[in-house]
Amino acid sequence: MANVSLQQIGKSYGGAVAVEAFNLEIRDGEFLVLLGPSGCGKSTTLRMIAGLESITRGDLLIGDARMNNVDPKNRGVAMVFQNYALYPHKTVAENMGMALKLQKMPKAEIEERIAGVADMLGLTAYLDRKPGSLSGGQRQRVAIGRAIVRTPEVFLFDEPLSNLDAKLRVKMRMELQELHDRLGVTSVYVTHDQVEAMTLADRIVIMDGGVIAQVGTPREVYDKPATEFVAGFIGSPAMNLMTMQSAADGSWRSNESQLVLPRLPGFDTKGANTIRVGIRPEHMTILDASAVGDDPWILPGKVMLAELLGADALLTLSVCGETMTARVNGVDYPEQGQQLAVRLNPEQLHAFDHDSKKALQV
Amino acid sequence: MNKRPRIILYSLVGLSVVISFFPIVWLVLTSLKNTAGIYSWPVQYWPDPLTFQNYWSIFTETPELLRYVLNSFIVGVGCTVLTLSVGGLAGYALSRLRMRFAGVLMVIILSVSMFPPIALLPALFQTFLNLGLLNSFTGLILAHTGLFLPYTVWMLASYFRTLPVEIEEAARLDGMGFLRIFFSIILPLSWPGFVATGLIVFIFSWNEFPLSLVLMTQDAMRTAPVGISLYPGEFAFPWETISTATVIAIIPVLVITAIFQKQILGGLTAGSGK
Amino acid sequence: MNAFNTLERRTQFVGIGFVTPTFLVIALILVYPVVQSIVLSVGQSSVDGFEPYRFVGLEHYAALMDDERFWRSLSVTLIFTAISIPLELVLGVGLALLMNESFHGKGLARLAVLFPWALPTALNALIWRWMYNADYGLFNAVGLESGIIGEPVNWLGDETLAMASMVIVSVWKTSSFMALIILAGLQSIPRDLYEAGRMDGMSRWQEFREITLPLLKGSIMVALIIRSMDALRTFELPFSLTDGGPDSATETLSLYAYKVIFEFVEFNAGSAIVVVQFAVIFLLSLLYIFTLRHKD
Ligand SMILES: Nc1ncnc2c1ncn2[C@@H]1O[C@H](COP(=O)(O)OP(=O)(O)OP(=O)(O)O)[C@@H](O)[C@H]1O
Ligand SMILES: [Mg+2]
Repeated sequence: MANVSLQQIGKSYGGAVAVEAFNLEIRDGEFLVLLGPSGCGKSTTLRMIAGLESITRGDLLIGDARMNNVDPKNRGVAMVFQNYALYPHKTVAENMGMALKLQKMPKAEIEERIAGVADMLGLTAYLDRKPGSLSGGQRQRVAIGRAIVRTPEVFLFDEPLSNLDAKLRVKMRMELQELHDRLGVTSVYVTHDQVEAMTLADRIVIMDGGVIAQVGTPREVYDKPATEFVAGFIGSPAMNLMTMQSAADGSWRSNESQLVLPRLPGFDTKGANTIRVGIRPEHMTILDASAVGDDPWILPGKVMLAELLGADALLTLSVCGETMTARVNGVDYPEQGQQLAVRLNPEQLHAFDHDSKKALQV
Repeated sequence: MNKRPRIILYSLVGLSVVISFFPIVWLVLTSLKNTAGIYSWPVQYWPDPLTFQNYWSIFTETPELLRYVLNSFIVGVGCTVLTLSVGGLAGYALSRLRMRFAGVLMVIILSVSMFPPIALLPALFQTFLNLGLLNSFTGLILAHTGLFLPYTVWMLASYFRTLPVEIEEAARLDGMGFLRIFFSIILPLSWPGFVATGLIVFIFSWNEFPLSLVLMTQDAMRTAPVGISLYPGEFAFPWETISTATVIAIIPVLVITAIFQKQILGGLTAGSGK
Repeated sequence: MNAFNTLERRTQFVGIGFVTPTFLVIALILVYPVVQSIVLSVGQSSVDGFEPYRFVGLEHYAALMDDERFWRSLSVTLIFTAISIPLELVLGVGLALLMNESFHGKGLARLAVLFPWALPTALNALIWRWMYNADYGLFNAVGLESGIIGEPVNWLGDETLAMASMVIVSVWKTSSFMALIILAGLQSIPRDLYEAGRMDGMSRWQEFREITLPLLKGSIMVALIIRSMDALRTFELPFSLTDGGPDSATETLSLYAYKVIFEFVEFNAGSAIVVVQFAVIFLLSLLYIFTLRHKD
């Protein structure tokens, strides 16, 4: 097991920059998730750690040794690929034992290790089969088993579950979690699925356009998004974001609608003329239309669209002319066209600088 | 579809089949006639008597014609093996190793494949003469390899591109070197591509004419198409012998084509995609 | 960074190692001979090196300008190409459309398309030479019996007929190759385009004009390029069918060059012909590439 240190790592393809000045210390035994939209450089970063992609700038250290120019096989890393990448012409056992065989480990020991891992993953019955005759979930298990057998210092995962159907994905996710608890191997996990990220990660790295937008625990990135991008990316449905101008009396007004918010408590808005104010759909309280009155945080609204998701319902509201989404209990919720009042809880508001997109200091 | 177009369709297909096959059929029929039957007027449509005498004669009287077929085999197999191994490595590097200038190298390979063989003859003859490669299997195998390498590299490269790259990456993490990846991963996974390309290259080599004509000047070293074409010499055409030798010389390629028609068809059409 | 030991470099070196054998063979068999042909064509020497190489400039080219047989072979080559390629194209498209239909006996039809391709050209020429035979040939027999011709025809003995005969052999052999490439293009046209066409009320002919033909342009171009280059270097077909006769009427550039080099043993003069042929093919390929670019 080892810590992994990425120091000012960068990758360019010709002139195009894929990853820029990536700085990160991954602790020994940590489960780190790289999360971000398609094309933001997650895979590239992971593959630089694996040695499948050369590093254009910066230093990569695994367990304090510089690895930039070390061959993939000598980095002590194992990788699980999205499409499994099993050798179709070799049996499950051969697939799992390939690395050990190439390391010239004695046959008996290889078999013993494979047997142990196969047992752990429930693959014992399939050891003599070829990957073609396995289901998707079984194949993914073999791919994971192949990584475990090598007892690597670091596990690398590139969207390992995205080829599985929804149910299987949840199951494999829990298995991965258990596995990590049991083995405690440093893991770097790439995904664009927030739920996977939130449930698996010790820390999440959110990337945007080749740079790190925020590093933090799942709690931190949800509660305290560092940038407007993170705020919009984490959470589903996405956070409501409104552009507001400061008024002379300290209140905030929207240019596009009649929305007016009082002085924002707890945010350092000094010198800011235009800001972006955000509130998550799940942080809006729906009240009776008559509740509008003294409390400046209670605003009148109208239901434009009501959609039942199951346990919850989503309301598309027009609040003072501003379109917002609210997430409410799915048992009893207002209908389309209904007038109502909405309370935005000031403790759960977010505010970002309009130009730098950074969160305003609390 | 209704009846009428069906009938037209089948008539057209039938016509194409007949047109394609009649020269070969006529060739075989000719080879089964005796000399009088061959030189008879009006023409004998069906051999009378039908005889295998000509085949027997080839084995007993003109075994040099069989020697040509053997030579073609040696050259064809040698060229196929060499082309696949040399071209396979290059195709792999150019399609998968993210080589710098890979695109330029592919275009160079494509351009040289357009060189007319006749343009190679004067210099190649002279060079092979100096190197002692005239009338040697090594020489002609090398020449054919050069001729068919561009096609092979392009075919195999496009085949390799269809394999998932992650398998090779997993192999690198497992500790394989590139040569090992090529032989123990790429080769077993792409054998259909190798089979198709190899068969086509073999047929190319079997049918190649100008270089085989010029680089093999001794009668005993000639390949089948050259040897049979030159067999008549200055004198009258002994059609009974020529037709029989031709049947023997085309059987290998026709049998290969018949057995592997799907692979060959795939190989021929794949190359035109780019 | 130590330049030679980066991961990137190592991969590049492996790649260079992998392509080197190919480029060595190509350099020896294809590139060097062509360069050497150019060198030979502007000099005077003997094959065995007995007469040392002497630069003579464009002397051999100048001689070619006055060589009627050269001009004849050039025009034979161009006429042969210009007649057979359009015929092949039409037949190839027709054959491809036919093959694209579903019918019983596909396997046999596929063989019918592949056999002519697989047949060695030189031996194919022999087969046809026998069928063209004026005294005992199949064509005269069938022609006379069916009354199409009144008296035996010497197919390969007349200048015009010999050229036509040669074109027929070539078209028979290569239309199917044309068809194969076009068939691949046909099969890559999405089916639903035709369904959309039917919804728009197109007839079969309109479908062909509006959908098939435009989307087939690329395949047709590829087929034309490959076949034209082949036709321009036609060698063994006249070699085995007519030996260039009668009176050079079917003597292609390649065949003439071969005779000059290996029968008259004029390496330098022959190299000049070869270089001219090379230039013609090169120009044609440029022209094709240009039109291809221009089209889309
Ligand atoms: N071989 C390459 N050549 C040029 N650009 C590349 C190459 N590989 C990746 N890129 C570019 O680098 C950027 C980052 O790609 P990367 O694969 O890391 O994205 P990703 O975050 O993994 O996305 P996804 O979620 O879609 O897998 C992209 O803009 C991509 O286009
Ligand atoms: Mg990715």
